[in-house]
Amino acid sequence: MSRRVAVTGIGIVAPGGIGVPAFWDLLTSGRTATRGITFFDPSGLRSQIAAECDFDPAAHGLDAEQIARADRYIQFALVAGEEAIRDSGLDLAAENPWRVGVSLGTAVGGTTRLEHDYVLVSHGGQRWDVDHREAGPHLHRAFAPSTLASAVAERFEARGPVQTVSTGCTSGLDAVGYAFHTIEEGRADVCIAGASDSPISPITMACFDAIKATSPSNDDPAHASRPFDADRNGFVMGEGGAVLVLEELEHARARGAHVYCEIGGYATFGNAYHMTGLTAEGLEMARAIEDALGQARLDGTAIDYVNAHGSGTLQNDRHETAAVKRALGAHAYETCMSSIKSMVGHSLGAIGAIEVVACALALAHQVVPPTANYETPDPECDLDYVPRVARERRLRNVLSVGSGFGGFQSAVVMTLPREKTL
Amino acid sequence: MSERITVEELAGLMKKAAGITVAPEDLQQLSDSGFDSFGLDSLGLLGIVGELENRYGTPMPPDAEKCKTPRQFLDLVNSALLAGA
Amino acid sequence: MSASHARRAAVTGIGVVAPNGTSTDAFWKATREGVSVIDPITREGCEGMPLRVAGQVRDFDPPSAIEERYLVQTDRFTHFAMAAADRALEEAGLGRADTDAAPFSVGVVTAAGSGGGEFGQRELQQLWGKGSRFVGPYQSIAWFYAASTGQISIRGGFKGPCGVIAADEAGGLDALAHAARGVRRGTDVIVAGATEAPLAPYSMVCQLGYEELSTVAEPDRAYRPFTSAACGFVPAEGGAMVVVEAEESARDRGAPVRALVAGHAATFTGASRWEESRQGLARAIQGALEEAGCAPEEIDVVFADALGVPEADRAEVLALADALGPHAGRVPVTAPKTGVGRGLAAAAVLDVAAAVLAMEQGVLPPTPNVFDVCHDLDLVTGRARATETRTALVLSRGLMGSNSALVLRRGAADAS
Repeated sequence: MSRRVAVTGIGIVAPGGIGVPAFWDLLTSGRTATRGITFFDPSGLRSQIAAECDFDPAAHGLDAEQIARADRYIQFALVAGEEAIRDSGLDLAAENPWRVGVSLGTAVGGTTRLEHDYVLVSHGGQRWDVDHREAGPHLHRAFAPSTLASAVAERFEARGPVQTVSTGCTSGLDAVGYAFHTIEEGRADVCIAGASDSPISPITMACFDAIKATSPSNDDPAHASRPFDADRNGFVMGEGGAVLVLEELEHARARGAHVYCEIGGYATFGNAYHMTGLTAEGLEMARAIEDALGQARLDGTAIDYVNAHGSGTLQNDRHETAAVKRALGAHAYETCMSSIKSMVGHSLGAIGAIEVVACALALAHQVVPPTANYETPDPECDLDYVPRVARERRLRNVLSVGSGFGGFQSAVVMTLPREKTL
Repeated sequence: MSERITVEELAGLMKKAAGITVAPEDLQQLSDSGFDSFGLDSLGLLGIVGELENRYGTPMPPDAEKCKTPRQFLDLVNSALLAGA
Repeated sequence: MSASHARRAAVTGIGVVAPNGTSTDAFWKATREGVSVIDPITREGCEGMPLRVAGQVRDFDPPSAIEERYLVQTDRFTHFAMAAADRALEEAGLGRADTDAAPFSVGVVTAAGSGGGEFGQRELQQLWGKGSRFVGPYQSIAWFYAASTGQISIRGGFKGPCGVIAADEAGGLDALAHAARGVRRGTDVIVAGATEAPLAPYSMVCQLGYEELSTVAEPDRAYRPFTSAACGFVPAEGGAMVVVEAEESARDRGAPVRALVAGHAATFTGASRWEESRQGLARAIQGALEEAGCAPEEIDVVFADALGVPEADRAEVLALADALGPHAGRVPVTAPKTGVGRGLAAAAVLDVAAAVLAMEQGVLPPTPNVFDVCHDLDLVTGRARATETRTALVLSRGLMGSNSALVLRRGAADAS
């Protein structure tokens, strides 16, 4: 009875390049896309650096009305969605629209427009009794987090289960996971899954400043994101969007689609510890990994690559290293683990889906992307973090993990197509 | 403005920045107990440091937010304020 | 559930923080009696809005409901959520000792429609009025949509699957369905629901772009779905959390199974395309009935979406006819939300709470402020109607295009 779920198309808008070829080129070259913030004047902020997308929506086919209506993070999703659908070869007009769903994640949604219009209606933060007449015409769309999935569903005429997932920094993994379960449980045959965020705005930068979670290496932005390195000093904000076409495997095979990989398992647990804090033991992330492996009917020793959350905060790197060791045992030292946040920054809700795309590409190319900027080992983080240089490796099963504010710990297992055995 | 943070002021800051009510006498008496025993988390301490930085217009020592107890915190912050005066 | 699903998802506890009551009893009494609490908005800073009335939670005292630190560290929507979760767990008879015994067996799922808007506005004012150094550390965890799920999980020690869904108003039903699926997948208990606090000044400005919003200033005339005077809907705050639990887990510990989450389906037909929502809603109903193994004739009451926009009301009536056939003309339909307003994703969760209580009590609550129904619909108006009710259908549609339907069955063998 078990329905299997294939990835048949991918699309991406990421710092350093729009589209899958540019993204994969960046990841395998080990270059970094982090730089001084150009979107606004960041002076006064502790962290003035970010991984920004050089993104021109008109050049990517969005018309003037779409650009006016859609917030930047939704534009990312529309462009990435277009690429993913094209890549999948799926003829949506021939599909039963009621069997096509959408599951997209975002952590902060329309915050950038919310902040922009707030400045107008409050006269620059001067009044609590804001003046509604100053608000822009699309503000309500920025207010509703569901606008993300709604806009993408409208664009691709999906009529099945359509939802936005907003579990902070695990939103992208969770959105892919929910889509996987949606298809597995038979509620849809195709799901447009992924995530998008454009959080590089004063309020979001300021709120991470306030908790000193972001890197203050303003003098050297290219080397500021240093996951697992002893000299790491916080994450570098990013932005972007990634969309995958998830499809019931037989549905994909029936139309002769190219299958990148299968989603084999997904699980999430709460750490019930602290909204921003992580335990040193990583028990809950380990549990998510074990549960996802169980769904994929895999042993931990089968994992050939771990795509880390790897945000570049001390507590994350140690938590995650402990979790992977706990879940994979001695095999943690045999496999390898890297963080692409070293190159594309941490785009909050989007990054989980961007990392799932990176995993799909890693499986397709049999190449592991590196952890850029990794120079000085931290004695407490003693796994193989694939320093600086991409590595060819035989990959059959890969794991992507994530942690988020609120205590969310999620894991997705992806496998090359194979026959499941009980 | 006094260049020295008192236990009373710290109690006031815990209330304002993190919503933690603690009597100054208790804070004094238990000044070697962990902040967590009063219910103050790491974000709350960051908020207190931020309040002080804004109040005095000067950065606090980087270790201020890592202090585990009220006594540690007051000693560190007050020696920094003294040195800066 | 169909036979292939061994584990059935039960409702074992309800916690309500609503404009018409901040306990389950007070909420049910006001709902059953059809009391309308929609009234002029008195929130500071909202004086100049073209939106005049709403459902406001007036008798909720945060300091007596939750620990003091949360008043500083979290937004009002999270205060509601934590208080509602506490009450739901208490009703379910699940104490800290129970949940601590198996922390991975307890999860949390909320639907989000607005996040921590009041908190966020305050911090935006700090940032833009004074400077980035005046933004406090709790902004990073109070404004975002996942705040309530995270806080409930941490405060209660719940390490099970935690989630946050946004699908407009319909997300409230989707969150409960997500919880039910989580139970079927093996988690024993999931605290699920939605609370919203979208009546802060800037949050209200953000909603003014919805053309479906009622700007009528008279509280008893502002929200009258299914009538020729329909002029949109009235917003609200508050919400509910419910304990969704594996039926066997409830029975094992002798807790009453108050209802079963029997079936659900969700569809999408586009933002404000109300005419098309007819087909979307009908499909959602059919899907939910199919999953529940329920014939249309078995539906004893429908809790309608009742948007209050003529085109949308018509589409809902037609969807019922499409999905239920002749039974649509006979089945009682109610929309108690006309007395409290629509609190985004929370509205549908309050409807689920009311549906569970209606089935338990054998009483269908009325639709306040609605009298002259202009559709072929047996709308319960005026007074509550006593009738045996075994199966309820709850409907919800979102302003961004989601349609959702949930089928609830009365708890079969009530242990109480």
